[in-house]
Amino acid sequence: MKGKYTMIISIGFATLILTAVMLTQFKTVEQTDITAIETMRETELRTELTDWKNKYEEIEEKLDETEGKIAEYQSEISNSQENSTILDKELDETDMYLGYTKLQGEGIEVTLTDSEFKTIDRWDLLQLVNELKLAGAEAISINNERVVSTTEIANVGSQFILINGNRIPSPFVVRAIGDKKYLESAITIKGGYIDEMKVNEKIVNYVVKDSIEIPAYSGKINFEYAEVNK
Amino acid sequence: MKEKNIAIMLGVMCFLLTVGICVQVRTVTSNASKMGRTYAENELRDSVLKWKEKYDLAYQKLETKEVKLEKLRETVSTSSESSETAKADLEKNNMALGYSEVIGPGITIILKDGELNSNKLDVSSYLVHYSDLVEVINALKNAGAEAISVNGQRIVNTTAISCAGNIIRVNNEKVGVPFVINAIGSKEKLYGALTMLGGYIDKLKDDGVDVDITQQNSITIPKYDGVYKYEYATKAE
Repeated sequence: MKGKYTMIISIGFATLILTAVMLTQFKTVEQTDITAIETMRETELRTELTDWKNKYEEIEEKLDETEGKIAEYQSEISNSQENSTILDKELDETDMYLGYTKLQGEGIEVTLTDSEFKTIDRWDLLQLVNELKLAGAEAISINNERVVSTTEIANVGSQFILINGNRIPSPFVVRAIGDKKYLESAITIKGGYIDEMKVNEKIVNYVVKDSIEIPAYSGKINFEYAEVNK
Repeated sequence: MKEKNIAIMLGVMCFLLTVGICVQVRTVTSNASKMGRTYAENELRDSVLKWKEKYDLAYQKLETKEVKLEKLRETVSTSSESSETAKADLEKNNMALGYSEVIGPGITIILKDGELNSNKLDVSSYLVHYSDLVEVINALKNAGAEAISVNGQRIVNTTAISCAGNIIRVNNEKVGVPFVINAIGSKEKLYGALTMLGGYIDKLKDDGVDVDITQQNSITIPKYDGVYKYEYATKAE
């Protein structure tokens, strides 16, 4: 008799432990089985990988360029040349990247127009310029104003928008040079810029062009407060 | 009677055991697939690290080459007066392109997500959005800022700010709260313009975003670590 009781108790005990283990198992299964997050992590890692590869390639290219320049400077020095051509070349190149030269190339032209009911405000332009930059635009202008690193886009009254210190009236013609297909898809993507403008009942038109001219910045970027930290 | 009890008990036990085994089997298979995935992830992580290291090395190399280049420019510029002005202009250009670390007076703006306030109509207005960064940077440019950075990312002409899901990127680098925006310029003018009533910062405060603006006597803004390259644009005659 006694042996039977011990057996029952021990069996009961074993069952209890088994159940407890099972419950824990259930919980673990629920916790780890979130495949969505895991796959997202993987795609995220993939973009990270391409990003670093691209950055590395860019830097390698720049490195080659810099080494080329060093060689050119060295040959100028050894030839004791009077006026440095490579210095002028470098200056030209940086002038171009700063917006001091007129450029041409393929791209897109987006026109924003005030309507009777809705006026174009600074955010419409800021957002468009940001989208175009994101899509790799190499140069951007609004009407005749070149967008440079110091360019502001500010509301002044309801009639004008201030760009590079000049009052610009509607229609706003935004030109961008870059991969025309990429620029086009960046703004026409579903739920993207063009869609959003249409939802807000604002007038927006665009044309893709094989050749666009973008004017040079008429000012110069100056520094009064900032200096090179040596 | 007793034997029947034992039989029932054993039956229940067997049943539970079966269920237990089934669960075990399921967990094991899901673990196996998870391990496969983690393995792929780890591989990816390894290559990300590998490329980052390669980039870092190349960047270091570039920096030493640039120092060398600068010395050569110095030497060349002493050869003639025109070369001297060209060198000075080039230095200024490189500064404007963001290729040098700059220092000067200015302001620091710190933006943080505010506390959830159920009184607001737009439930996400207390959060900092990418559009807020675009607007604040634009307001700083309008106030005459000479150099701007967001969480250590120098704002240059080609800088775009993007937002995918919850991730905001500046110069394609992830940035997160708190957003620390530094700007060099006249600190009084920048501070005055940015804190103006009805200005964008004022609107952000109204929306419940946590904003902190301070004037600084000296701030350092890092250089841009990207490159400029034109593939489609050429000089027009």
